[in-house]
Amino acid sequence: MVTTERSRVLQKDLPHSLQDELAKVHIQPNKVWLCTDTDLNLSGNYEQVWLAVSDDALAVLAEPKQAGQPAVRHFISRDEIQEVRVRQGVGGGFLETIVDDIVVVVLAFSNVKADIFHKVAGKLEQWMHKQAIEVDASDDADPRHCPKCGLTLQFKGDVCRRCVNRGAVLLRVLKLMRPYADKAAIMMVLVLIGAGISLIPQQLVRLLINKVLAPEQASNPPLDLATAKHWLMGLVGALLLTHIIGSLNNLGVLRLNSYVGTQITYDMRKRVFDRLMQLSIDYFDRYNVGQLISRVQGDTEQMKGFVQQLTTGFFQQIIMVLAVGTILFIMSWQLALVTLLPAPLVVAGSIWFWKRVYPRYYKVWDSNSKLAGVLNTILSGMRVVKAFAQESREINRFDRSNSYVRNSFRTVEYTVAKFNPTIGFIFQLGGLLVWFIGGIWVLQGRQITAAGGKAPLNLGDLISFLGYLWMFYQPLTQLTQLTNWLTGFLTATHRTFEILDTPIQIAESDKPISVPDMKGHITFENVTFGYDRHQPILKNISFEIKPGERIGVVGKSGSGKTTIINLLSRFYDIDHGRIAIDGVDIREMSKTDLRGQIGVVLQEPFLFRGTIYDNLTYGLADTTPEDVIAATKAANAHDFIMRQPLGYDTYIGERGAGLSGGERQRISIARAILYNPKILILDEATSSVDTESEKLIQDALLRITKGRTTIAIAHRLSTLKNSDRIFVVNRGEIIESGTHDELMTLQGTYHKLVKIQTELSGNVDSLQANVK
Amino acid sequence: MTAKMNETHEDNGAPHLDPTTPRYLTPEIARIHLGSRNALHVTVLNDRIYGGVYAAYIFPVRQPRKFVSLRYKNAKGEEIEVGIIWNLEEWPQTDRALVEEALHRHYFVHTITHIHHIGWKYGFIAFDVQTDKGPAQFLMRWQHDRAHDYGRGGKVLLDVDENRYLIPDLGTLSDKEREEFLRYVYW
Ligand SMILES: Nc1ncnc2c1ncn2[C@@H]1O[C@H](COP(=O)(O)OP(=O)(O)O)[C@@H](O)[C@H]1O
Ligand SMILES: [Mg+2]
Repeated sequence: MVTTERSRVLQKDLPHSLQDELAKVHIQPNKVWLCTDTDLNLSGNYEQVWLAVSDDALAVLAEPKQAGQPAVRHFISRDEIQEVRVRQGVGGGFLETIVDDIVVVVLAFSNVKADIFHKVAGKLEQWMHKQAIEVDASDDADPRHCPKCGLTLQFKGDVCRRCVNRGAVLLRVLKLMRPYADKAAIMMVLVLIGAGISLIPQQLVRLLINKVLAPEQASNPPLDLATAKHWLMGLVGALLLTHIIGSLNNLGVLRLNSYVGTQITYDMRKRVFDRLMQLSIDYFDRYNVGQLISRVQGDTEQMKGFVQQLTTGFFQQIIMVLAVGTILFIMSWQLALVTLLPAPLVVAGSIWFWKRVYPRYYKVWDSNSKLAGVLNTILSGMRVVKAFAQESREINRFDRSNSYVRNSFRTVEYTVAKFNPTIGFIFQLGGLLVWFIGGIWVLQGRQITAAGGKAPLNLGDLISFLGYLWMFYQPLTQLTQLTNWLTGFLTATHRTFEILDTPIQIAESDKPISVPDMKGHITFENVTFGYDRHQPILKNISFEIKPGERIGVVGKSGSGKTTIINLLSRFYDIDHGRIAIDGVDIREMSKTDLRGQIGVVLQEPFLFRGTIYDNLTYGLADTTPEDVIAATKAANAHDFIMRQPLGYDTYIGERGAGLSGGERQRISIARAILYNPKILILDEATSSVDTESEKLIQDALLRITKGRTTIAIAHRLSTLKNSDRIFVVNRGEIIESGTHDELMTLQGTYHKLVKIQTELSGNVDSLQANVK
Repeated sequence: MTAKMNETHEDNGAPHLDPTTPRYLTPEIARIHLGSRNALHVTVLNDRIYGGVYAAYIFPVRQPRKFVSLRYKNAKGEEIEVGIIWNLEEWPQTDRALVEEALHRHYFVHTITHIHHIGWKYGFIAFDVQTDKGPAQFLMRWQHDRAHDYGRGGKVLLDVDENRYLIPDLGTLSDKEREEFLRYVYW
């Protein structure tokens, strides 16, 4: 790669005034190969401070604030520097050097600049060791910021939320409904029909009053009793019919609604779950499981709400308000205007109310999830609670959460309880107004303009008018919640889409290379990796493991041993370097081939609720009971399984409850044996097993690891006696490697560890004998 | 005695630094001062001079004026606790000022004094606030783990760059500000 372009971040232009200052300490500005700025000074306040590095020295400088303050704050020549490193503070960090055995804080930076100064520290380390350094535009590449807008992403490959088009959410939801477009259309039509039907009864009532019950006041000819009875029966029959049709129509709407709603929720949930299954472990490290559960369960449920709103909800209400409003104006625009008088009050009141009540709903959600959380923690930690006799304390803790739920519900319900009667009262006022004014007009026989020209207002008109009035106000109050509902819906859907939009980080390569028959030749080349943004855990690790070799790995806890095997199984992708098996980069290898041929026995074995047999054969299609028994015998697990009342068909609980740590590990080892992998990884696999069974298992492992590449991370060095080679890991680096004898003669860390352990066990000879 | 000579003692193991027991420093047995290249140094009676020291709170919320840990990272990259200052108040003014400055350096935190506006933008909560370091606008992910409790009534907010914003006590905000805040950060 030939890039001669300058780095925008690491090769900035130093301000002119400072260039002169730099020259004063004999750094020629044109000899500066790294120049960048930070946002904090060493007092922890905002100030632009520059770092300039030439071949021989580094300088830290800033514009003097007061006269007499030197511009150059640090000048350190390269030969003085013993070490360059970054130390993380809280909310920021520091670039430090060690000079004369003393730690010198060179500069401070806020977390915005953390990535840059980690990179700077790496370059300075090479510089200090007089290695060739390249600084160019390729250093600006930054997977942790959105390439489009520069926003910091939560992890590499995260979706940029700013760039996800939010307006498109509604559109996407509608797209999801496409398979049900026909049903949705039928549903809408039914809703329209339903609205039309609901307008009919009031007209029938009007006819009933004006024609049959009180014809005189409407200047209609009075009917004789028999005709009146016929009319009455006819009209009541018609009313009955409209109600029946209306109900049937409603039935259809609700059924379709439920069908489409549940189906869409199902689809959405399935999509989310499928995506979750494909996401890397990294994603699950970042997001808490409770949150994901609520997304899979709660947020997808919102889709049903959306469909409901389309039918029985807002869509219907809008139609009703429009239809009834039109009817009211057609019947009498004067009276219609009167009815509109309280409408602004209703709308304003409802909006004000929802503004107050909505934040309180958040509290209800929060209190509920907190209660669930507390319950979960207490119940799953019951053993600890009992062991420390803390029952009463936990009862109090639960009580606090419980009252929080009660109180938050109360606040909401009290507010709702205040609101509903108030709105009801306003409605009544509107009704009274119509009764009063309409009543006077009826008495006066006042001419009103109606659809059919001018006519006096009569009793039938008034009664049906009042009937419509309720049909008008009701949806009006509901509609005021539209924006709130929409916000809630968009948020939830957005959270759901976010999962769907998360790129699969550990993606299968476009053209996966199939390695069906692995030899087990492993190479790590300059591998650097960190779980966290700012902290590399493995630093530039390189090693080679030949097919069939048995490798033992030792090191303090937290030194990065498990991380190495996490990378080999490709649970995480590395930041720099290359990991290859049989010469194929694991990122290009088919994931099934990779994971299918690596068997891992973990320190904390994963067991699920099910029988021991199910646990042993998880993921294995064709295993015979004979294989299983052979494996458990080899893992020294058969006998304790036989002590269980139902033998191999004994149910074990969540995470293997009911078994001891050592027993769980032995099941896990048996599983690995059954798996018959090409590469076997044992991560402190026998740490909870007693020495005696460990010896038995070791012998078994010796047999099954024959000819297989094996990496065994060990706590007890005695378990490494069968290793061909031993790696000593310290702080993310392999500091020693070789056979036991080589490492012992090296008199280094391994030698020290062996000495400590033999002293602890007080049995030097046995260990020495074991190891040899 | 130069710092260099002192540092070489370390390999023999400083006799008084037992990593398994806390060592409380008092003005009687220790001095805090600036040494070469303005690095913070701690001299401990009958022990040695420690250079390149930084300070961190042990209980940042519960006991901010007490229990300050003085630490340094040795050449092997191990963090070593020089000692614990039990109560900053009992130290002479100059020593105290140096520790306070070191603490201020270690914790880069904006303390929010006023909230001008909170909004919802691209799925983030957008804050427009006044802080002790001047006005600030920042985006926070709307997630529980981005806002932690701080003592009884306070909250620490982490923005998208993991910068920290502290509201020491929600009670000191105005009713309007608090209500707006709680509408978004309701947990
Ligand atoms: N999922 C993770 N996220 C963040 N940090 C992690 C994670 N797993 C391990 N670490 C950190 O990485 C370092 C190395 O861990 P690990 O490889 O498990 O050590 P070992 O197996 O040698 O005990 C530790 O400092 C640990 O805190
Ligand atoms: Mg481990």
